[in-house]
Amino acid sequence: MILNEKKRVAFKTLGCRLNQYETDALVTDFSQAGYELVDYNESPDVVIVNTCTVTNQSDHKSRSVISQTARKAKNAVVVVTGCMANNFKEKLESQENITFVVENSRKSSILTLVDAHFSGEIAHPDQLPQDVFRYEPVKKSLHTRSAVKIQDGCDNFCTFCIIPMVRGNAVSRPVADVLESIRKTVENGFKEIVITGVNIGRYSDGATRFEDLLAQILEVPGDFRVRISSLEPDGFGPDFVKLFAHPKLMPHLHLCLQSGSDKTLLRMRRMYDVEQFRKTVTQFRAIYADFNFTTDIIVGFPGETEEEFGQTLEAIKEFNFSHIHTFKYSVRKGTRAERLENHLPEKVKTERSLQIRDLSVENKIDYFNSFIGKTQDVLVEKVAHGVASGYGEHYIPVRFKLAGAQKNAIHKVRLLERKGDDENSYLFGEAVL
Amino acid sequence: MMTLMRHDHETDESFYKILEIRHLTGNAFSIRLPKARFAFKAGQHISLGIVGGNQSREYSIYSGENEENLEVLIKEVQNGYFTPQLRRLKIGRMLEVHGPFGKFGMEPGKAEKGKFVFIASGTGIAPFRSIIRTYPNIDYRLIHGVKTLEEAYDSHEYEKSRYVLCTSREKTGDYHGRLTGYLKTCTFAPDTQFDLCGNSEMIFDALEILKGKGFSRDQIHCEVYF
Repeated sequence: MILNEKKRVAFKTLGCRLNQYETDALVTDFSQAGYELVDYNESPDVVIVNTCTVTNQSDHKSRSVISQTARKAKNAVVVVTGCMANNFKEKLESQENITFVVENSRKSSILTLVDAHFSGEIAHPDQLPQDVFRYEPVKKSLHTRSAVKIQDGCDNFCTFCIIPMVRGNAVSRPVADVLESIRKTVENGFKEIVITGVNIGRYSDGATRFEDLLAQILEVPGDFRVRISSLEPDGFGPDFVKLFAHPKLMPHLHLCLQSGSDKTLLRMRRMYDVEQFRKTVTQFRAIYADFNFTTDIIVGFPGETEEEFGQTLEAIKEFNFSHIHTFKYSVRKGTRAERLENHLPEKVKTERSLQIRDLSVENKIDYFNSFIGKTQDVLVEKVAHGVASGYGEHYIPVRFKLAGAQKNAIHKVRLLERKGDDENSYLFGEAVL
Repeated sequence: MMTLMRHDHETDESFYKILEIRHLTGNAFSIRLPKARFAFKAGQHISLGIVGGNQSREYSIYSGENEENLEVLIKEVQNGYFTPQLRRLKIGRMLEVHGPFGKFGMEPGKAEKGKFVFIASGTGIAPFRSIIRTYPNIDYRLIHGVKTLEEAYDSHEYEKSRYVLCTSREKTGDYHGRLTGYLKTCTFAPDTQFDLCGNSEMIFDALEILKGKGFSRDQIHCEVYF
């Protein structure tokens, strides 16, 4: 539907890369339908809040954003979608400040719902088709990089995780659709594509597994590079490591360890142990010595002893993660971990979380310092006051001065020094012309 | 998903009527459901919910792939929320089934070629019964750790020479003590594949023992129960 009177739409996104991708795809949808993209402070006609529910904190943030948005955009149609919409559907539907609550499986059809609403039709979200892969390739976006979704859902049933309940069973997008989406996204001008999903290592379409798909993606013609979003450590085969020799594939993985204790990993129902994780890291670094590993760690999982936590600290030092996304364990209703014994006090979780944060900063500084004097190809995401900023191949934030630097361009940069606060460190460099 | 109207409530393909409840011990029972078109691989699990309830739990499938019924093995958790409700259900009540889920079990074509040691504590025997009933010619040894003899669920079904019962609270099994104690005394061929199912403590200890005997982690597959 092309609108006679240009409507204004605003987006708020919480949580993971997958949510960000789905929002970007919706931005493309609304933009192509003639909607103007605005901030939620600028009196939008529609606000879409794409929520997260992975932790208590995510719930809190999502609730807060919904309230704030509804308050500021008083007369707007407020659409709440994302994982929290699945987890607390009935509760959200009863809130007067929300117009529509749309489950993840119907998220890709939000434009249809909003158009119908503005046309005076009585529309209900439950009438929308369910298709988790219906998203158009991203054209108009809130980000410089574009994600392409290859998979959704998860069947691992880790004991702490609510995601299988809110994202559903694991499903994989057909190979041909993925490759077509990559081609179109490249045609739309994106220089970096992030392969995303809920558990992408479990990708399976006929005989095609994750690394087979990745090999095909790397052979798509065009000037672009490929990054992999969060990955479970157990879902890929022996050929995976070799693929990183391809110049398009960036040397960085966010490989989710969660704990450095085998006992804790078993209680979490993770499918690997520390030794297997070590094997993977060793394989990578034997070939690519400066390969960047980042990770997720859950602290204060039920029953986590001082000894088990100590093993996590040791693992962090050993694997030299340059960044750690630390989650204090929080109960998700309906998960197995909710029923485990020995839940830890918040104080213990906070103390342990701080210890991990300190180690993470140390690792980050060491890792960043090891790049001083080297060069990186930096994709520019922002240019302000003559300073360009973006990320190098290893996902290190880099800034440099260059007259006429453009967003979405790749520049070779020699890295000169580390700047910024510890946690917000970046490398400053000079463009190699 | 196809939607049908049955009885007074809306049901769909996820809803199964209880055909039989077998009481195996004072607190363990199995529930049989019609298998119909439900396809699964031996070793996988399903999610089970009571129609009208708001919770579900995961259970390994206890029956073989080619059987008429879908069966799960359940132990009632004292003062639990879900299993006491399940136990009170009568034949004819509806359960909501989702799945199958999981990668635990036999890799295609491997079942009748390899040597397998199945290690189970308590109701962790469920996926192994499913595997053994699906692949009757499989070369296996089943080590089952329980507290008392009565927990040797359907043990008469297994060949005596392949089944070892370890009882920790009484001297009624083939071995008196925890299954990990028995495991320490065993020798296995170097190419043995190990499949473990049970609580996380047992699996951790068994893994340590097997690794200590020189087996690679790639030869050991685990399914954790709680």
